[in-house]
Amino acid sequence: MNKLWIVTAETYLRQVKTWSFLILIVSPFILLVISGGAGYLAGSSTANQDKIAVVSQQQPLRQQVIRQNKDDVNQKITTQKAAEKAVKSEDIAGYLVLSQSGQQVKAVYHSTRNMADTLKNQVQASLSQYQQALNLSEAKLTPQQSQALQQQPIFRQQLKEKQKNVSMAKMFSFWIMAFLAYMILTTYASITAQEIASEKGTKIMEIIFSSTTARKYFFGKILGVLLVILTQIAIYLGGGALCYILAQHLSFSREIIADNRTLIDGVLNNLVNINLLYLLLGVVLFTVLSAFSGALVAKVEDASKAATPAVYLNLVAFFSTFPFQGNAHSIVVTILSYVPFFSSYFMPFRMINYTVSPVEITISLLILVVTIIGSATYIGSIYEGLMLQTDDSSFFKRFKRGLSYRKQRT
Amino acid sequence: MLSIQHRSKKFGDLQALDDISFDVVPGEITGLIGQNGAGKSTTFHSILNFLDYDGQIRWHGQPVDETVFDTIGYLPEERSLMPKLTIEQQIVYLARLKDKKAKDIRPQIDPWLKHFEVKGQKVDKIKSLSKGNKQKVQLICTMIHKPKLLILDEPFSGLDPVNMDILKQAILGAKDQGAAIIFSSHDMANVESVCDNLVMLRNGQAILNGTLDDVRNQFGKNQIHITGPWSVQELAALPHVTQVLTPRPRQFVLHLDDPGAGPAIFETLTQGKYIEAFVQQAPTLDEIFRMEVGAGHE
Repeated sequence: MNKLWIVTAETYLRQVKTWSFLILIVSPFILLVISGGAGYLAGSSTANQDKIAVVSQQQPLRQQVIRQNKDDVNQKITTQKAAEKAVKSEDIAGYLVLSQSGQQVKAVYHSTRNMADTLKNQVQASLSQYQQALNLSEAKLTPQQSQALQQQPIFRQQLKEKQKNVSMAKMFSFWIMAFLAYMILTTYASITAQEIASEKGTKIMEIIFSSTTARKYFFGKILGVLLVILTQIAIYLGGGALCYILAQHLSFSREIIADNRTLIDGVLNNLVNINLLYLLLGVVLFTVLSAFSGALVAKVEDASKAATPAVYLNLVAFFSTFPFQGNAHSIVVTILSYVPFFSSYFMPFRMINYTVSPVEITISLLILVVTIIGSATYIGSIYEGLMLQTDDSSFFKRFKRGLSYRKQRT
Repeated sequence: MLSIQHRSKKFGDLQALDDISFDVVPGEITGLIGQNGAGKSTTFHSILNFLDYDGQIRWHGQPVDETVFDTIGYLPEERSLMPKLTIEQQIVYLARLKDKKAKDIRPQIDPWLKHFEVKGQKVDKIKSLSKGNKQKVQLICTMIHKPKLLILDEPFSGLDPVNMDILKQAILGAKDQGAAIIFSSHDMANVESVCDNLVMLRNGQAILNGTLDDVRNQFGKNQIHITGPWSVQELAALPHVTQVLTPRPRQFVLHLDDPGAGPAIFETLTQGKYIEAFVQQAPTLDEIFRMEVGAGHE
């Protein structure tokens, strides 16, 4: 096997076999299950407390109200006495006493607090319907007249609802994207920097470089880390898809999914597209930078410091997006969407908020790819010098020496 | 054959190596000796192409590059392994980087661990091993792929006499298999006991270079080791004797200003009778080292 792939495989396997990787992978799913379960439990326990009871001597009237408000009514309670008891023990929010005197339908709500507006409207609608049916039968109209009176106005608000969902989808998409990028970049910048710094600290590099070239070894390390990231993203995508499919079939989440389908589809469309490529390329660039700073560390004890430049740069890029949340069209956003390290946040930000031309995306991606190839090639060429120099000068002196190492060697 | 010709290297104003030339022949062991900072590790780093340099270094006529790396076994001065790996993972990984197949290396691990008397199992983590055992595992990593060129930087440092002997046997075993071996050491007794050839460095210059006997003999056989019932005064009065040392009771070392005076001293001391010991020889490597290094400080 080519030595590049031996290094890649070793780096990959060493990372994915660790507990920390396993925790990194499963924690979002555990969080999802816990929050979903907690939400369901909380939902089901509060649901009963928010329900009301409906009591009435007129069973058709009671049934009419119950039929149209099934989810909000505790049907087991049928008497006023039982309802009073349930209110006292806070098992229900209140109870509705329905009565009919002559042609007049009457409803009295007993509770310690006001009926929720939504439920109030629904109950009033049900009662109106019942009242209207009584009125119609009292008026003794012909079937045609009766049907004519039942004509309802048509009111549509579908467009408005969609627009609202689209803007919410944009906001959700951006935050998911930004946090995902921030978390992954920080995690892998730290892993790479520490891995390389500790290798340098253990002085094993002399043995490695007597077996393969520094450039091959460096590329092998970067490829290994890249494979770990791809594994993580693939598991997230696969696991996410599985959760989504399951959620569509599970009783407690089916309705939520159905009610928010436009929003969810919008978020998914924004995430699972070229934005993923930006995320991936961003991670590669930050990994290369981390490898470089890891190679500048002189002692194993300083390995944790090695990630600092990449982590801070990532932090700056992440927080730079904040002031532009309401101003995605700013010229600064446009410029930063072409600047490597920043483009992984700003181009997805632009694409989520409005349409960016394919030419602009291509140019931005091209700059990012060229920067990655250029920096990896350059660092690969000075990597041997960086890894073999072990003097104890200050970090910045080593940084400077690292940059000019090729000149020193000749 | 490893051929080093007119090798020079400067670090800023410091002349680390100055026109060094010597060969390391297959089936022979070359010792590289010198004080700290004399240029031993720089020589090794040059052979391994870690540094740019003036001059020429060739292995069987070819420059040392990745195509040659697989035939090299290198033990650096600073011992280092990957602490999180097991002994087996570490040995297999480094052997694979030497283009060996894992399935060929794995069966060899236990015999090597036994041979080097490593205290531990191959599934033990490197970080759980003692310093001495780590060093032995590293030696196994250096030798398990049966290198044709073995470069050992201070291989004996930190080893007790028993383990030193195990290592010597391993080095001699590699020599018997035809490997060209070069190693550095501060311990002249070790160099003397295994080396065929010697290169002594001082301030980046090769001040001595040749077979062990040639190097010693070029200083002349100006020492006589004797055992008998003489006094220091009696011996000091002998012609051409410049110094008398008594390492042990009844044992003396006479330093001569003329090695040719040996037969006359023999006649004077024995007078045709039996004496327990009379050996005329060149200075030991340790003495040569002290003399030469001392000369550099004058």
